[in-house]
Amino acid sequence: MTTGSLLPTLIILLGAIGVYLLLPHRLGRAKPRSVHVAGATLTALGFLGFLFSIMAPPTTANPDGHYYIAAAFFYAFSAFALGSAVMTIVSRNPIHSALWFAAVVLSSAGLFLLAGAQFLAAGTVIVYAGAIIVMFLFVIMLAQMEGRAIYDRSARSPGTAVFTCFLILWSLVYCLGSLASRPEGVDEDPALFNQKLTPGRELAEHYRLDGDHSVKIALDRVFRTTSADRDAEGLAKPDVAGLGESLYTDHLVTVELAGSLLFAALIAAIVIANPKRSLRSGEPEPTPSDA
Amino acid sequence: MTDLLTIDYLRDYLLVGAALFALGMLGFLSRRNLIVMFLSAEMMLQGTALSLIALSRYHGNWTGQIFTIIILTVAACEAAIALALIMILYDRRASLDITLWRELREEAAPDLVPIEVEAAEAEPVEPIEGPETYPQLTPAGVEPEHPIQPWTERRR
Repeated sequence: MTTGSLLPTLIILLGAIGVYLLLPHRLGRAKPRSVHVAGATLTALGFLGFLFSIMAPPTTANPDGHYYIAAAFFYAFSAFALGSAVMTIVSRNPIHSALWFAAVVLSSAGLFLLAGAQFLAAGTVIVYAGAIIVMFLFVIMLAQMEGRAIYDRSARSPGTAVFTCFLILWSLVYCLGSLASRPEGVDEDPALFNQKLTPGRELAEHYRLDGDHSVKIALDRVFRTTSADRDAEGLAKPDVAGLGESLYTDHLVTVELAGSLLFAALIAAIVIANPKRSLRSGEPEPTPSDA
Repeated sequence: MTDLLTIDYLRDYLLVGAALFALGMLGFLSRRNLIVMFLSAEMMLQGTALSLIALSRYHGNWTGQIFTIIILTVAACEAAIALALIMILYDRRASLDITLWRELREEAAPDLVPIEVEAAEAEPVEPIEGPETYPQLTPAGVEPEHPIQPWTERRR
């Protein structure tokens, strides 16, 4: 293990220990306040380390400072999203979990907006706002308030779960850490060309210049005007117009499939939520007066 | 033509998406409340959608955003079916505890965790001063017998 991967490992270990201390006890025993404080401290340390490690070097800074504003918003939104995510899974009260999840959705909608997906930011907020309201109704109807229930104050094998999930996070961070800036002069050297993640547009242009006839025919699909997010002059298309154009030309069958899926889910939800007849043979048939 | 979303920036987006995914998975695996498990699954979908949108911007086409629309659709379907299931399961056991439904496992599946640990029903709730204690109020007087109204009964 090199020193470059030691720091992320340490950060993720800190976060894992902190989240383990913050989760409910395995047998539902109450944790003293000192354990909570220690868990919160360790989680905050790992959290700050994670935020520090995703700080990209501002090599691409524009002279007008546009990059710094976008970067500041990016760190604010991602800090809020990750903190709310931790609070969602460690809250004893399901109402607090639902509220923190709403915060996760709002801040990830902000991240969508920063990545240039205005329609999806609005759509996520609209769809999940309705979903959160419904979740709220369910929590108020079904769950016991203020985390009184035993199943809210105890966790299912939290040690194993923390180990598994933070191992997955560590391996994802390890893989993504090797993504770095493409060095200069790579375009001239085909051997180096595929080593880094090259934007698909540049890769297709490279092979369209070099490839044979069949490659050019195949790559013409990539260069259709509907599928790129820039028009013929290289200007960025408006988000909603470009997305709709691509959705209803390139991905028309996908739209039909999504509609069919929604319809099937509607029927399934109605069938599940209205048990008119008993599904098992042993149970007596309910009489119509029961309904 | 310089795009602001360079590969460093893309990596940051992917890292945040990966962290959201891992935290959602942790909530799904370790919490016992059905509603919180459902929220954690939605959080995993949010992390995936974030990665897809960043990659879509980076590669310069719309495919990732369209995939995210499909994810929204699937999340809506999942919400409908999951809430219907939660209703049904709550109707049968009057609890949101997932460990009450252990018999839905396969018969031959080994018990990796002992049942008394996993269910953890019989623990004494010791009132230790801290964030997990709740005030206990003394009931004032005797609760009068009130007739059961038809609208207060649970539907069966």
